[in-house]
Amino acid sequence: MLEDELKVSTRVIGNIAVIDLVGDVTTFAEAKINAAYQEMSQNGAQQILLNFRQNDYINSAGIAILIGIVTEVTRNDQKLAFSGLSPHFQKIFRMVGLSQYAKIYQDEQEALTDLQNAATA
Amino acid sequence: MIELRLPSRLGYERVAMDAAASLASRMGFETDRVAALKTAVSEAVTNAIEHGNQHNEAMKVVVLLTVRGDELIVSVTDQGHKAIDAAYVNRVPQISEAMKRDDKGGWGIWLIQELMDEVEFTTAPSGGNQVRMVIHLER
Repeated sequence: MLEDELKVSTRVIGNIAVIDLVGDVTTFAEAKINAAYQEMSQNGAQQILLNFRQNDYINSAGIAILIGIVTEVTRNDQKLAFSGLSPHFQKIFRMVGLSQYAKIYQDEQEALTDLQNAATA
Repeated sequence: MIELRLPSRLGYERVAMDAAASLASRMGFETDRVAALKTAVSEAVTNAIEHGNQHNEAMKVVVLLTVRGDELIVSVTDQGHKAIDAAYVNRVPQISEAMKRDDKGGWGIWLIQELMDEVEFTTAPSGGNQVRMVIHLER
């Protein structure tokens, strides 16, 4: 009732697998986020963009889930990026250290442009 | 003073978070400070629900919001099934260490301490855990 249940959807743009996250990223989000990541990985994704909505609620349990994704991405030699985070969560992600493992972009377009350029460079 | 008595069920931390944010906005806090307060309150209440009250919905989490001059004081008290692990207080978690563990959590108390101006962890007279957080209005 009080949860803004997370909606997770996936799409592929060029060689980038985009996982859209709309809603709360809390302990209840773990199965959905992990399933989307596994699906994209099994389809051969090498570059993954986690695209948030600006007003999302992300708590420390959600951060732990994202650290799990970072761990998998590192293990599988993939590249991960974040976009669409509010300034507050960009700051939190930097404080926690997630930005050491995944670049943070202001929005999806900026991320897609940079990731595509990097891939063709 | 505003007092909230919340059931120990995840999701209710949002009620405390929204109340604190509303009060802070009315006091004139900037957007980034309100966002920091929301995260700190949410983490404190979630800790109380999960650890202090062990998800027992009959047990309450009491949140007190007090405006004193240019500061907002938030106190979060549980009914203390389990004390806050002292090892978590003043510990600086490292993501590289978390990546090696199955449980990648343990960021809540650190986030509260990083985001608030003053934080104190005590035992309430009732025996539960109490977190007292203060955020100052900067003019």
